[in-house]
Amino acid sequence: MGSLTPADTSSEGGFFTTQINAVVNWGRKNSLWPMPLGLSCCGIELMAMIGPKFDIARFGAEAARFSPRQCDVMIVAGTLTWKMAQAARTIYDQMPEPKWVIAMGVCSSTGGMYDSYAVVQGIDSILPVDIYVPGCPPRPDAVIDALLKLQKKIERESPLKDIFGGPDVIDDRGTDQRTYQPNAAVDKSKLDLHPHDPRARRGSVAHGEPEAKA
Amino acid sequence: MSEETMKAARDERRTATMARIAGALEGTRAKTAEVRDATPCILVRPDELTDVLTRLKERGGFDTVTFVTAVDLAPATPRFEVVHQLYSIAHTDRVRVKTAVTEEAASVPSCIALWPGAAYMERECFDMFGVRFDGHAGLKRLLMPEGYIYHPLRKDFPHQGIEPDRLYREWDAERRREFDPEAAR
Repeated sequence: MGSLTPADTSSEGGFFTTQINAVVNWGRKNSLWPMPLGLSCCGIELMAMIGPKFDIARFGAEAARFSPRQCDVMIVAGTLTWKMAQAARTIYDQMPEPKWVIAMGVCSSTGGMYDSYAVVQGIDSILPVDIYVPGCPPRPDAVIDALLKLQKKIERESPLKDIFGGPDVIDDRGTDQRTYQPNAAVDKSKLDLHPHDPRARRGSVAHGEPEAKA
Repeated sequence: MSEETMKAARDERRTATMARIAGALEGTRAKTAEVRDATPCILVRPDELTDVLTRLKERGGFDTVTFVTAVDLAPATPRFEVVHQLYSIAHTDRVRVKTAVTEEAASVPSCIALWPGAAYMERECFDMFGVRFDGHAGLKRLLMPEGYIYHPLRKDFPHQGIEPDRLYREWDAERRREFDPEAAR
């Protein structure tokens, strides 16, 4: 988020200068109301996450609404079947903009162990997914991490671009996070190899220092 | 209780069950055989099924139906075997009724007149194997969506399905057309 700079600490009112995009993003990312689409066992972990032990109220996301009209982030928790896919897509369409999707667990991310005629092999074939959470089911910590990553993503959005113009992505810290690749050190040419191929052995390239440029 | 006493008690129970079944089926052509898990197993033809089930319920005391399902024995003929398993609450014993049907005439009489609760199991069996149950008023898909044309538990059905997303894509295309006719064109 953009910085909230105390402009004049000596003034009696105390005011801040900031950017309108930063304020909107700050409001959005700290009030992410989830739409819990608990489809199987992941739904139990999702309930644990909302409950007092893990308590996503710390991140402003505790207000789980069971009406899509009041939600910001749809958490698809569990195995999505093709029969349920129509309902999931309808719920997504009924959510007001802006909206985000978290694919919780391997089933919703890839179909998981259900390589089956009945199961959607990854909900990204019907919904635009922002964050994928691996695990079967993932621990609530992992989903909280996904929520924080989503907040980081929202920070860089430019919500009022249509009104005021400006860049697509806010990057006032100069970190260039949009193009930053956390796995840039991985040699992409080896990712297509079969794991048993000796050229795909884990070496310094994938897990250690980036390979020195010759 | 010693090993011998337990075995004797088991044998006695089994003999009593077999005697009850034989008494109930007296005068029919149904054959009784004992299968590996010691459940008596009756092989019947489709036209005898209702008679055998009625006798087992009313004379044999097998008052509940545990499940109705089918077995796909492909490539053998007849291809399907419809299995009714019954349970007697009073005597705590079971009996299994197997009906062989061919793929061309894959239908057996429904038993919902005897056990209304079998209606869902017959629907599931129809959904998964394509075996029809004559006399079932609402024989439609139970697990798979309506409009699905395959029977997934048949042996010749691939486990990844045939166009599993077809119904969704059709629905999606229709929805987009309603939402924005211009864009869909």
